[in-house]
Amino acid sequence: MTASGAGHFVRTAFVFAACFVSSSRATAQPNTAGASPAGQDAHAAPSAQADQATQPEYPSLHLSGFADVNFAAQDKSEGPRGFSEGQFVLHLAAALSPRVNFFGELSLTPRTDAGTGSPAATGFNAEVERVIIRFDHSDRLKVSFGRYHTPINWWNTAFHHGQWLQTTASRPEMIQFGGRFLPVHFVGALAEGAFYAGGWNLNYQAGIGNGRGNVISRAGDAGDNNARPAVVLNLFTKPDSVFGLQVGGSVYIDRVSVTGRPEVDERIVAAHAIWQREDPELIAEIADVRHEPVGGTGTTSNLAYYVQAAYRLPSVGHLWKPYYRFEHVKVDAADPVFVGVPNLDGSTAGVRFDISTYAAIKSEVRARRRVTDQARTNGWFVQICFTF
Amino acid sequence: MLLVALCLVLTGAMRLDAQAPGDVAVVVHPDVPIDNLTLADLRRLLLGDREFWPASVRITLLIRAPIAHERDVVLKNVCQMTEAQFRQHWIAKVFRAETALAPKIAYSSEMAADLVNRIPGAITFIDATQVVGRGLKVVKIDGQLPGQRGYPLH
Repeated sequence: MTASGAGHFVRTAFVFAACFVSSSRATAQPNTAGASPAGQDAHAAPSAQADQATQPEYPSLHLSGFADVNFAAQDKSEGPRGFSEGQFVLHLAAALSPRVNFFGELSLTPRTDAGTGSPAATGFNAEVERVIIRFDHSDRLKVSFGRYHTPINWWNTAFHHGQWLQTTASRPEMIQFGGRFLPVHFVGALAEGAFYAGGWNLNYQAGIGNGRGNVISRAGDAGDNNARPAVVLNLFTKPDSVFGLQVGGSVYIDRVSVTGRPEVDERIVAAHAIWQREDPELIAEIADVRHEPVGGTGTTSNLAYYVQAAYRLPSVGHLWKPYYRFEHVKVDAADPVFVGVPNLDGSTAGVRFDISTYAAIKSEVRARRRVTDQARTNGWFVQICFTF
Repeated sequence: MLLVALCLVLTGAMRLDAQAPGDVAVVVHPDVPIDNLTLADLRRLLLGDREFWPASVRITLLIRAPIAHERDVVLKNVCQMTEAQFRQHWIAKVFRAETALAPKIAYSSEMAADLVNRIPGAITFIDATQVVGRGLKVVKIDGQLPGQRGYPLH
Protein backbone atom coordinates (compact mmCIF):
# COMPACT_ATOMS: atom_id res chain seq x y z
CA MET A 1 0.00 0.00 0.00
CA THR A 2 1.37 3.43 -0.91
CA ALA A 3 1.62 6.28 1.57
CA SER A 4 -1.28 8.11 -0.07
CA GLY A 5 -3.29 4.90 -0.17
CA ALA A 6 -2.62 4.29 3.50
CA GLY A 7 -3.64 7.86 4.30
CA HIS A 8 -6.86 7.44 2.36
CA PHE A 9 -7.58 4.18 4.19
CA VAL A 10 -6.99 5.83 7.56
CA ARG A 11 -9.28 8.74 6.70
CA THR A 12 -12.02 6.37 5.53
CA ALA A 13 -11.68 4.24 8.63
CA PHE A 14 -11.88 7.37 10.77
CA VAL A 15 -15.14 8.49 9.14
CA PHE A 16 -16.81 5.13 9.74
CA ALA A 17 -15.43 4.92 13.25
CA ALA A 18 -16.84 8.38 13.93
CA CYS A 19 -20.24 7.22 12.69
CA PHE A 20 -20.25 4.21 15.01
CA VAL A 21 -18.90 6.15 17.98
CA SER A 22 -21.37 8.98 17.55
CA SER A 23 -24.18 6.42 17.25
CA SER A 24 -23.32 4.90 20.58
CA ARG A 25 -22.65 8.18 22.33
CA ALA A 26 -25.69 10.04 21.12
CA THR A 27 -28.41 10.78 23.59
CA ALA A 28 -30.91 7.99 23.71
CA GLN A 29 -33.98 8.78 21.67
CA PRO A 30 -37.41 7.28 21.93
CA ASN A 31 -38.75 5.18 19.15
CA THR A 32 -42.42 4.63 18.81
CA ALA A 33 -42.47 4.81 15.04
CA GLY A 34 -45.54 3.32 13.67
CA ALA A 35 -47.08 0.00 13.89
CA SER A 36 -49.96 1.54 11.99
CA PRO A 37 -49.68 2.54 8.35
CA ALA A 38 -49.26 6.13 9.37
CA GLY A 39 -46.19 5.17 11.25
CA GLN A 40 -47.88 6.05 14.46
CA ASP A 41 -48.70 3.69 17.24
CA ALA A 42 -52.25 4.83 17.44
CA HIS A 43 -53.46 1.75 19.29
CA ALA A 44 -51.14 2.12 22.26
CA ALA A 45 -52.64 3.60 25.38
CA PRO A 46 -51.52 7.20 25.92
CA SER A 47 -49.76 6.51 29.20
CA ALA A 48 -48.04 3.43 27.82
CA GLN A 49 -46.94 5.39 24.80
CA ALA A 50 -45.58 8.18 26.96
CA ASP A 51 -43.46 5.69 28.85
CA GLN A 52 -42.34 4.04 25.63
CA ALA A 53 -41.47 7.41 24.15
CA THR A 54 -39.13 8.30 26.95
CA GLN A 55 -37.68 4.82 27.43
CA PRO A 56 -36.37 3.78 24.03
CA GLU A 57 -35.57 0.18 23.38
CA TYR A 58 -33.33 -1.10 20.61
CA PRO A 59 -33.72 -2.73 18.23
CA SER A 60 -37.27 -1.62 17.53
CA LEU A 61 -38.78 -3.35 14.55
CA HIS A 62 -41.79 -1.98 12.74
CA LEU A 63 -43.52 -3.84 10.00
CA SER A 64 -45.76 -2.50 7.27
CA GLY A 65 -46.78 -3.75 3.89
CA PHE A 66 -48.40 -3.22 0.53
CA ALA A 67 -50.45 -5.49 -1.66
CA ASP A 68 -52.57 -5.25 -4.77
CA VAL A 69 -55.02 -7.26 -6.84
CA ASN A 70 -55.32 -6.60 -10.55
CA PHE A 71 -57.66 -7.18 -13.46
CA ALA A 72 -56.63 -6.84 -17.10
CA ALA A 73 -58.52 -7.05 -20.37
CA GLN A 74 -56.34 -6.69 -23.47
CA ASP A 75 -56.86 -7.16 -27.18
CA LYS A 76 -53.29 -8.48 -27.45
CA SER A 77 -51.49 -10.00 -24.52
CA GLU A 78 -48.83 -7.91 -22.80
CA GLY A 79 -48.74 -9.46 -19.37
CA PRO A 80 -51.52 -11.24 -17.46
CA ARG A 81 -55.18 -11.29 -18.49
CA GLY A 82 -58.13 -11.55 -16.15
CA PHE A 83 -57.54 -11.34 -12.43
CA SER A 84 -54.05 -11.57 -11.05
CA GLU A 85 -52.37 -11.15 -7.74
CA GLY A 86 -49.94 -8.31 -7.60
CA GLN A 87 -46.93 -8.20 -5.35
CA PHE A 88 -47.23 -8.83 -1.66
CA VAL A 89 -44.65 -6.52 -0.14
CA LEU A 90 -43.39 -6.37 3.42
CA HIS A 91 -41.41 -3.41 4.65
CA LEU A 92 -39.30 -3.53 7.77
CA ALA A 93 -37.82 -0.52 9.51
CA ALA A 94 -35.80 -0.82 12.67
CA ALA A 95 -33.83 1.67 14.71
CA LEU A 96 -30.78 -0.18 15.99
CA SER A 97 -29.53 2.82 17.93
CA PRO A 98 -30.26 6.54 17.83
CA ARG A 99 -28.19 6.92 14.68
CA VAL A 100 -28.25 3.51 13.08
CA ASN A 101 -31.29 2.32 11.15
CA PHE A 102 -32.15 -0.77 9.17
CA PHE A 103 -34.60 -0.93 6.30
CA GLY A 104 -35.73 -3.98 4.39
CA GLU A 105 -38.23 -4.67 1.65
CA LEU A 106 -39.35 -8.18 0.74
CA SER A 107 -41.65 -9.06 -2.11
CA LEU A 108 -43.63 -12.16 -3.03
CA THR A 109 -44.60 -12.24 -6.69
CA PRO A 110 -46.85 -14.87 -8.30
CA ARG A 111 -45.07 -17.01 -10.88
CA THR A 112 -46.54 -17.92 -14.24
CA ASP A 113 -44.53 -21.16 -14.24
CA ALA A 114 -45.77 -22.31 -10.83
CA GLY A 115 -45.85 -26.08 -10.53
CA THR A 116 -43.81 -26.74 -13.65
CA GLY A 117 -40.26 -28.04 -13.91
CA SER A 118 -38.39 -30.38 -11.63
CA PRO A 119 -38.42 -29.62 -8.83
CA ALA A 120 -41.73 -27.87 -9.36
CA ALA A 121 -41.55 -24.09 -9.31
CA THR A 122 -43.14 -22.50 -6.28
CA GLY A 123 -46.26 -20.41 -6.55
CA PHE A 124 -44.52 -17.22 -5.56
CA ASN A 125 -41.10 -15.80 -6.17
CA ALA A 126 -39.53 -14.35 -3.02
CA GLU A 127 -37.15 -11.46 -3.50
CA VAL A 128 -35.13 -9.27 -1.16
CA GLU A 129 -35.80 -5.97 -2.88
CA ARG A 130 -33.92 -3.73 -0.48
CA VAL A 131 -31.69 -4.28 2.52
CA ILE A 132 -30.11 -1.13 3.86
CA ILE A 133 -28.22 -0.32 7.02
CA ARG A 134 -27.65 3.39 7.44
CA PHE A 135 -25.56 5.51 9.77
CA ASP A 136 -26.94 9.01 10.24
CA HIS A 137 -24.21 11.46 11.10
CA SER A 138 -26.28 14.55 10.36
CA ASP A 139 -28.67 15.88 7.75
CA ARG A 140 -25.62 16.54 5.60
CA LEU A 141 -24.15 13.06 5.78
CA LYS A 142 -25.80 9.66 5.97
CA VAL A 143 -23.82 6.62 4.93
CA SER A 144 -25.46 3.34 4.08
CA PHE A 145 -24.66 -0.08 2.68
CA GLY A 146 -26.86 -2.68 1.06
CA ARG A 147 -29.21 -3.29 -1.83
CA TYR A 148 -31.10 -0.26 -3.10
CA HIS A 149 -33.39 0.87 -5.80
CA THR A 150 -30.93 2.78 -7.96
CA PRO A 151 -31.24 6.55 -7.48
CA ILE A 152 -30.99 7.12 -11.21
CA ASN A 153 -34.71 7.60 -11.59
CA TRP A 154 -37.14 9.49 -9.39
CA TRP A 155 -40.02 7.00 -9.68
CA ASN A 156 -37.73 4.13 -8.73
CA THR A 157 -36.87 5.70 -5.39
CA ALA A 158 -40.19 7.41 -4.66
CA PHE A 159 -42.61 4.49 -4.86
CA HIS A 160 -40.50 1.31 -4.77
CA HIS A 161 -42.92 -1.64 -4.70
CA GLY A 162 -45.73 0.24 -2.99
CA GLN A 163 -48.41 0.35 -5.67
CA TRP A 164 -50.69 2.26 -3.34
CA LEU A 165 -48.20 5.12 -3.17
CA GLN A 166 -48.23 5.80 -6.90
CA THR A 167 -51.16 7.47 -8.58
CA THR A 168 -51.29 5.09 -11.55
CA ALA A 169 -51.69 1.32 -11.61
CA SER A 170 -48.59 0.81 -13.75
CA ARG A 171 -45.03 2.06 -13.58
CA PRO A 172 -43.48 3.85 -16.55
CA GLU A 173 -41.93 1.27 -18.87
CA MET A 174 -38.47 2.82 -18.63
CA ILE A 175 -38.29 1.75 -14.97
CA GLN A 176 -40.49 -1.34 -15.06
CA PHE A 177 -39.58 -4.07 -12.57
CA GLY A 178 -37.70 -6.72 -14.47
CA GLY A 179 -37.07 -4.22 -17.25
CA ARG A 180 -33.67 -3.68 -18.77
CA PHE A 181 -33.62 -0.05 -19.82
CA LEU A 182 -32.50 1.31 -16.45
CA PRO A 183 -30.78 -0.66 -13.69
CA VAL A 184 -33.56 -0.93 -11.11
CA HIS A 185 -31.35 -2.29 -8.33
CA PHE A 186 -27.94 -1.37 -7.03
CA VAL A 187 -25.80 -3.24 -4.50
CA GLY A 188 -23.11 -1.24 -2.75
CA ALA A 189 -22.64 1.85 -0.60
CA LEU A 190 -24.38 5.19 -0.69
CA ALA A 191 -23.61 8.55 0.86
CA GLU A 192 -26.43 11.06 0.93
CA GLY A 193 -27.37 14.32 2.53
CA ALA A 194 -28.95 17.72 2.18
CA PHE A 195 -27.68 21.29 2.40
CA TYR A 196 -29.92 24.23 3.16
CA ALA A 197 -28.11 26.43 0.60
CA GLY A 198 -30.16 29.56 1.17
CA GLY A 199 -33.47 27.81 0.82
CA TRP A 200 -32.55 25.77 -2.27
CA ASN A 201 -32.27 22.56 -0.20
CA LEU A 202 -29.66 20.84 -2.31
CA ASN A 203 -29.68 17.08 -1.91
CA TYR A 204 -27.09 14.60 -3.07
CA GLN A 205 -26.78 10.83 -3.32
CA ALA A 206 -23.44 9.36 -4.33
CA GLY A 207 -22.99 5.62 -4.61
CA ILE A 208 -20.55 2.96 -5.63
CA GLY A 209 -21.52 -0.65 -6.21
CA ASN A 210 -21.76 -3.69 -8.38
CA GLY A 211 -23.99 -2.40 -11.14
CA ARG A 212 -25.76 -4.74 -13.53
CA GLY A 213 -25.28 -8.49 -13.21
CA ASN A 214 -24.85 -11.14 -15.91
CA VAL A 215 -28.56 -10.80 -16.51
CA ILE A 216 -28.73 -7.06 -17.04
CA SER A 217 -32.14 -6.65 -15.45
CA ARG A 218 -30.66 -7.86 -12.17
CA ALA A 219 -28.13 -6.33 -9.82
CA GLY A 220 -24.88 -8.06 -8.96
CA ASP A 221 -26.20 -9.45 -5.68
CA ALA A 222 -23.58 -12.15 -5.32
CA GLY A 223 -20.69 -9.91 -6.39
CA ASP A 224 -19.56 -7.77 -9.27
CA ASN A 225 -19.14 -9.59 -12.55
CA ASN A 226 -16.25 -7.39 -13.63
CA ALA A 227 -13.49 -5.31 -12.11
CA ARG A 228 -15.14 -1.97 -12.83
CA PRO A 229 -17.61 -0.81 -10.13
CA ALA A 230 -20.69 1.16 -11.02
CA VAL A 231 -20.95 4.72 -9.73
CA VAL A 232 -24.04 6.85 -9.43
CA LEU A 233 -24.52 10.51 -8.55
CA ASN A 234 -27.91 12.08 -8.07
CA LEU A 235 -28.38 15.79 -7.32
CA PHE A 236 -31.69 17.53 -6.79
CA THR A 237 -33.17 20.66 -5.28
CA LYS A 238 -36.40 21.23 -3.38
CA PRO A 239 -36.59 25.02 -3.10
CA ASP A 240 -38.43 26.53 -0.15
CA SER A 241 -39.82 29.29 -2.32
CA VAL A 242 -41.70 26.83 -4.56
CA PHE A 243 -42.98 24.24 -2.10
CA GLY A 244 -43.74 20.99 -3.89
CA LEU A 245 -41.18 21.38 -6.66
CA GLN A 246 -38.26 19.00 -7.06
CA VAL A 247 -35.80 19.25 -9.94
CA GLY A 248 -32.70 17.17 -10.40
CA GLY A 249 -30.43 15.08 -12.51
CA SER A 250 -28.26 12.02 -12.21
CA VAL A 251 -25.40 10.18 -13.83
CA TYR A 252 -24.67 6.45 -13.71
CA ILE A 253 -21.52 4.88 -15.10
CA ASP A 254 -20.88 1.15 -15.29
CA ARG A 255 -19.25 -1.56 -17.38
CA VAL A 256 -21.75 -4.16 -18.55
CA SER A 257 -20.48 -7.73 -18.80
CA VAL A 258 -22.79 -10.31 -20.31
CA THR A 259 -21.51 -13.86 -20.77
CA GLY A 260 -20.58 -14.54 -24.37
CA ARG A 261 -20.69 -10.92 -25.43
CA PRO A 262 -18.07 -8.14 -25.58
CA GLU A 263 -17.96 -5.82 -22.59
CA VAL A 264 -19.70 -2.49 -22.99
CA ASP A 265 -19.28 0.77 -21.14
CA GLU A 266 -22.59 2.23 -20.05
CA ARG A 267 -23.32 5.85 -19.24
CA ILE A 268 -26.76 6.96 -18.19
CA VAL A 269 -27.73 10.60 -17.88
CA ALA A 270 -31.15 11.31 -16.44
CA ALA A 271 -33.20 14.28 -15.28
CA HIS A 272 -36.49 14.81 -13.51
CA ALA A 273 -38.88 17.61 -12.66
CA ILE A 274 -41.65 16.89 -10.17
CA TRP A 275 -44.52 18.96 -8.84
CA GLN A 276 -45.58 16.88 -5.87
CA ARG A 277 -48.78 18.60 -4.90
CA GLU A 278 -51.93 16.85 -5.93
CA ASP A 279 -53.65 19.83 -7.54
CA PRO A 280 -52.02 19.19 -9.93
CA GLU A 281 -49.39 16.45 -9.68
CA LEU A 282 -46.83 16.65 -12.48
CA ILE A 283 -44.00 14.20 -13.08
CA ALA A 284 -41.55 14.31 -15.97
CA GLU A 285 -38.47 12.16 -16.36
CA ILE A 286 -36.00 11.56 -19.16
CA ALA A 287 -33.01 9.23 -19.46
CA ASP A 288 -30.40 8.69 -22.11
CA VAL A 289 -28.56 5.36 -21.99
CA ARG A 290 -25.35 5.30 -24.00
CA HIS A 291 -23.39 2.13 -24.73
CA GLU A 292 -19.89 1.95 -26.11
CA PRO A 293 -18.09 -1.37 -26.71
CA VAL A 294 -14.83 -1.57 -24.75
CA GLY A 295 -11.96 -0.99 -27.18
CA GLY A 296 -14.38 -0.79 -30.05
CA THR A 297 -16.39 1.78 -31.91
CA GLY A 298 -20.01 2.37 -32.56
CA THR A 299 -21.60 4.22 -29.66
CA THR A 300 -25.33 3.75 -29.42
CA SER A 301 -27.80 6.00 -27.66
CA ASN A 302 -31.20 5.04 -26.28
CA LEU A 303 -33.77 7.51 -25.07
CA ALA A 304 -36.78 7.18 -22.82
CA TYR A 305 -39.05 9.71 -21.21
CA TYR A 306 -42.50 10.10 -19.76
CA VAL A 307 -44.74 12.92 -18.66
CA GLN A 308 -47.54 12.33 -16.19
CA ALA A 309 -50.22 14.70 -14.99
CA ALA A 310 -52.87 14.10 -12.34
CA TYR A 311 -55.34 16.27 -10.50
CA ARG A 312 -57.18 15.54 -7.29
CA LEU A 313 -60.66 16.94 -7.69
CA PRO A 314 -61.78 19.59 -5.19
CA SER A 315 -64.46 19.47 -2.47
CA VAL A 316 -66.89 16.55 -2.81
CA GLY A 317 -64.80 14.95 -5.52
CA HIS A 318 -61.62 14.87 -3.45
CA LEU A 319 -61.51 11.07 -3.42
CA TRP A 320 -61.14 11.05 -7.21
CA LYS A 321 -57.90 11.70 -9.03
CA PRO A 322 -57.90 11.47 -12.82
CA TYR A 323 -54.55 11.09 -14.56
CA TYR A 324 -52.79 10.79 -17.89
CA ARG A 325 -49.30 9.67 -18.85
CA PHE A 326 -47.49 9.67 -22.14
CA GLU A 327 -44.31 7.65 -22.42
CA HIS A 328 -41.73 7.01 -25.08
CA VAL A 329 -38.90 4.50 -25.34
CA LYS A 330 -36.59 4.50 -28.37
CA VAL A 331 -33.91 1.82 -28.53
CA ASP A 332 -31.14 1.92 -31.12
CA ALA A 333 -31.48 -1.14 -33.33
CA ALA A 334 -27.69 -1.59 -33.26
CA ASP A 335 -27.41 -1.46 -29.47
CA PRO A 336 -25.36 -4.43 -28.25
CA VAL A 337 -26.94 -4.55 -24.78
CA PHE A 338 -30.63 -3.84 -25.40
CA VAL A 339 -31.23 -6.69 -27.86
CA GLY A 340 -34.93 -7.45 -27.71
CA VAL A 341 -35.89 -4.38 -25.67
CA PRO A 342 -38.98 -3.02 -27.42
CA ASN A 343 -39.72 0.55 -28.41
CA LEU A 344 -42.81 2.21 -27.09
CA ASP A 345 -45.13 5.08 -27.71
CA GLY A 346 -47.82 4.74 -25.12
CA SER A 347 -50.63 6.57 -23.41
CA THR A 348 -52.19 5.74 -20.08
CA ALA A 349 -55.36 7.44 -18.92
CA GLY A 350 -57.29 6.60 -15.81
CA VAL A 351 -58.71 7.59 -12.50
CA ARG A 352 -57.80 6.75 -8.93
CA PHE A 353 -60.48 6.53 -6.27
CA ASP A 354 -59.39 6.45 -2.65
CA ILE A 355 -61.75 3.99 -1.00
CA SER A 356 -60.30 4.78 2.41
CA THR A 357 -57.24 6.46 3.85
CA TYR A 358 -55.18 3.34 3.17
CA ALA A 359 -56.80 1.74 0.13
CA ALA A 360 -57.47 2.83 -3.42
CA ILE A 361 -58.90 1.50 -6.64
CA LYS A 362 -57.48 2.57 -9.99
CA SER A 363 -58.96 2.06 -13.41
CA GLU A 364 -56.90 2.87 -16.48
CA VAL A 365 -56.74 2.27 -20.20
CA ARG A 366 -53.45 1.86 -22.00
CA ALA A 367 -52.79 2.27 -25.69
CA ARG A 368 -49.32 1.12 -26.75
CA ARG A 369 -47.60 1.13 -30.10
CA ARG A 370 -44.42 -0.93 -30.30
CA VAL A 371 -43.60 -0.55 -33.98
CA THR A 372 -44.38 2.46 -36.14
CA ASP A 373 -47.24 1.88 -38.57
CA GLN A 374 -48.42 -1.20 -36.69
CA ALA A 375 -51.63 -1.46 -34.72
CA ARG A 376 -51.77 -0.38 -31.10
CA THR A 377 -52.23 -2.75 -28.21
CA ASN A 378 -55.18 -1.60 -26.16
CA GLY A 379 -56.07 -2.70 -22.69
CA TRP A 380 -58.21 -1.90 -19.68
CA PHE A 381 -56.71 -2.43 -16.26
CA VAL A 382 -58.11 -2.22 -12.75
CA GLN A 383 -56.06 -2.34 -9.59
CA ILE A 384 -57.11 -2.47 -5.96
CA CYS A 385 -54.16 -1.57 -3.79
CA PHE A 386 -53.64 -0.89 -0.14
CA THR A 387 -51.14 -0.52 2.65
CA PHE A 388 -51.34 -2.14 6.03
CA MET B 1 -70.74 57.97 17.68
CA LEU B 2 -67.83 57.66 15.34
CA LEU B 3 -65.45 58.03 18.26
CA VAL B 4 -67.23 55.23 20.17
CA ALA B 5 -67.07 52.94 17.14
CA LEU B 6 -63.38 53.70 16.73
CA CYS B 7 -62.75 52.91 20.41
CA LEU B 8 -64.63 49.61 20.08
CA VAL B 9 -62.60 48.63 17.04
CA LEU B 10 -59.32 49.53 18.75
CA THR B 11 -60.30 47.68 21.92
CA GLY B 12 -61.25 44.61 19.94
CA ALA B 13 -57.99 44.70 18.02
CA MET B 14 -55.93 45.01 21.20
CA ARG B 15 -57.76 42.12 22.81
CA LEU B 16 -57.15 39.95 19.75
CA ASP B 17 -53.49 40.88 19.82
CA ALA B 18 -53.10 40.13 23.51
CA GLN B 19 -54.95 36.83 23.76
CA ALA B 20 -54.70 35.57 20.22
CA PRO B 21 -57.17 32.72 20.67
CA GLY B 22 -56.36 29.78 18.42
CA ASP B 23 -52.66 30.49 18.06
CA VAL B 24 -50.52 27.38 18.22
CA ALA B 25 -47.16 27.66 19.96
CA VAL B 26 -44.11 25.76 18.74
CA VAL B 27 -42.44 24.28 21.81
CA VAL B 28 -39.04 22.58 21.99
CA HIS B 29 -37.01 20.77 24.62
CA PRO B 30 -35.20 23.34 26.80
CA ASP B 31 -31.78 22.20 25.53
CA VAL B 32 -32.57 22.71 21.85
CA PRO B 33 -30.27 25.54 20.73
CA ILE B 34 -32.92 27.28 18.64
CA ASP B 35 -34.94 30.42 19.39
CA ASN B 36 -36.39 31.12 15.97
CA LEU B 37 -37.47 29.05 12.99
CA THR B 38 -38.70 30.17 9.62
CA LEU B 39 -41.95 28.73 8.34
CA ALA B 40 -39.91 26.87 5.70
CA ASP B 41 -37.68 25.40 8.45
CA LEU B 42 -40.78 24.24 10.28
CA ARG B 43 -42.19 22.66 7.12
CA ARG B 44 -38.95 20.75 6.46
CA LEU B 45 -39.01 19.55 10.02
CA LEU B 46 -42.65 18.48 9.95
CA LEU B 47 -42.19 16.63 6.69
CA GLY B 48 -39.07 14.87 7.90
CA ASP B 49 -36.71 16.58 5.46
CA ARG B 50 -34.75 17.88 8.42
CA GLU B 51 -33.88 15.35 11.13
CA PHE B 52 -31.22 17.08 13.19
CA TRP B 53 -30.85 20.24 15.23
CA PRO B 54 -27.49 22.03 15.22
CA ALA B 55 -24.84 19.96 17.03
CA SER B 56 -26.40 16.87 15.44
CA VAL B 57 -29.10 16.34 18.06
CA ARG B 58 -31.81 14.23 16.47
CA ILE B 59 -35.22 15.86 16.23
CA THR B 60 -38.14 14.01 17.78
CA LEU B 61 -41.40 15.20 16.34
CA LEU B 62 -44.39 15.06 18.68
CA ILE B 63 -47.68 15.87 17.08
CA ARG B 64 -51.21 15.82 18.40
CA ALA B 65 -53.60 13.10 17.30
CA PRO B 66 -56.00 13.74 14.41
CA ILE B 67 -58.89 16.13 15.03
CA ALA B 68 -56.88 18.17 17.55
CA HIS B 69 -56.85 21.87 16.75
CA GLU B 70 -53.06 22.04 16.90
CA ARG B 71 -52.71 19.30 14.29
CA ASP B 72 -55.23 20.92 11.96
CA VAL B 73 -53.44 24.27 12.14
CA VAL B 74 -50.03 22.77 11.52
CA LEU B 75 -51.14 20.60 8.61
CA LYS B 76 -53.07 23.39 6.95
CA ASN B 77 -50.78 26.36 7.53
CA VAL B 78 -47.36 24.74 7.48
CA CYS B 79 -47.56 21.52 5.48
CA GLN B 80 -50.39 22.70 3.22
CA MET B 81 -51.74 19.17 3.31
CA THR B 82 -54.90 17.36 4.24
CA GLU B 83 -54.83 14.70 6.94
CA ALA B 84 -54.80 11.96 4.30
CA GLN B 85 -51.94 13.60 2.40
CA PHE B 86 -49.92 13.99 5.59
CA ARG B 87 -50.39 10.32 6.48
CA GLN B 88 -49.46 9.22 2.97
CA HIS B 89 -46.41 11.48 3.05
CA TRP B 90 -45.11 9.81 6.20
CA ILE B 91 -45.90 6.29 5.05
CA ALA B 92 -43.91 7.03 1.90
CA LYS B 93 -41.13 8.67 3.89
CA VAL B 94 -40.57 5.59 6.02
CA PHE B 95 -41.03 3.26 3.04
CA ARG B 96 -38.40 5.19 1.07
CA ALA B 97 -35.99 4.52 3.94
CA GLU B 98 -35.53 8.24 4.44
CA THR B 99 -36.30 7.87 8.11
CA ALA B 100 -37.11 5.08 10.53
CA LEU B 101 -38.84 7.41 12.95
CA ALA B 102 -42.29 8.66 12.12
CA PRO B 103 -43.87 11.42 14.24
CA LYS B 104 -45.02 10.38 17.66
CA ILE B 105 -48.54 11.02 18.81
CA ALA B 106 -49.41 13.17 21.81
CA TYR B 107 -52.98 12.62 22.93
CA SER B 108 -53.33 15.82 24.94
CA SER B 109 -51.63 19.14 25.53
CA GLU B 110 -50.50 17.86 28.91
CA MET B 111 -48.89 14.82 27.35
CA ALA B 112 -47.22 16.95 24.68
CA ALA B 113 -45.88 19.38 27.29
CA ASP B 114 -44.64 16.54 29.46
CA LEU B 115 -42.88 14.69 26.64
CA VAL B 116 -41.30 17.73 25.05
CA ASN B 117 -39.58 18.52 28.32
CA ARG B 118 -38.43 14.93 28.84
CA ILE B 119 -37.21 13.95 25.37
CA PRO B 120 -33.98 15.63 24.20
CA GLY B 121 -34.42 17.21 20.79
CA ALA B 122 -38.22 17.08 20.95
CA ILE B 123 -40.51 19.60 19.32
CA THR B 124 -44.27 19.85 19.59
CA PHE B 125 -47.24 22.11 18.98
CA ILE B 126 -49.46 23.28 21.80
CA ASP B 127 -52.37 25.71 21.94
CA ALA B 128 -50.81 29.00 23.04
CA THR B 129 -53.26 29.36 25.91
CA GLN B 130 -52.01 26.04 27.35
CA VAL B 131 -48.36 27.07 27.40
CA VAL B 132 -48.47 29.67 30.15
CA GLY B 133 -47.01 28.62 33.49
CA ARG B 134 -45.52 25.33 32.32
CA GLY B 135 -41.95 26.53 31.89
CA LEU B 136 -41.91 25.54 28.23
CA LYS B 137 -39.48 26.89 25.67
CA VAL B 138 -41.52 28.54 22.93
CA VAL B 139 -39.81 29.15 19.60
CA LYS B 140 -40.49 32.18 17.43
CA ILE B 141 -41.74 31.56 13.92
CA ASP B 142 -40.41 34.06 11.40
CA GLY B 143 -39.44 36.23 14.38
CA GLN B 144 -42.89 36.25 15.97
CA LEU B 145 -44.37 34.65 19.04
CA PRO B 146 -47.99 33.53 19.49
CA GLY B 147 -50.24 36.51 20.01
CA GLN B 148 -48.19 38.84 17.88
CA ARG B 149 -49.79 40.19 14.76
CA GLY B 150 -48.96 38.13 11.71
CA TYR B 151 -48.05 34.99 13.65
CA PRO B 152 -48.59 32.27 11.04
CA LEU B 153 -49.84 29.36 13.16
CA HIS B 154 -53.40 30.42 13.77
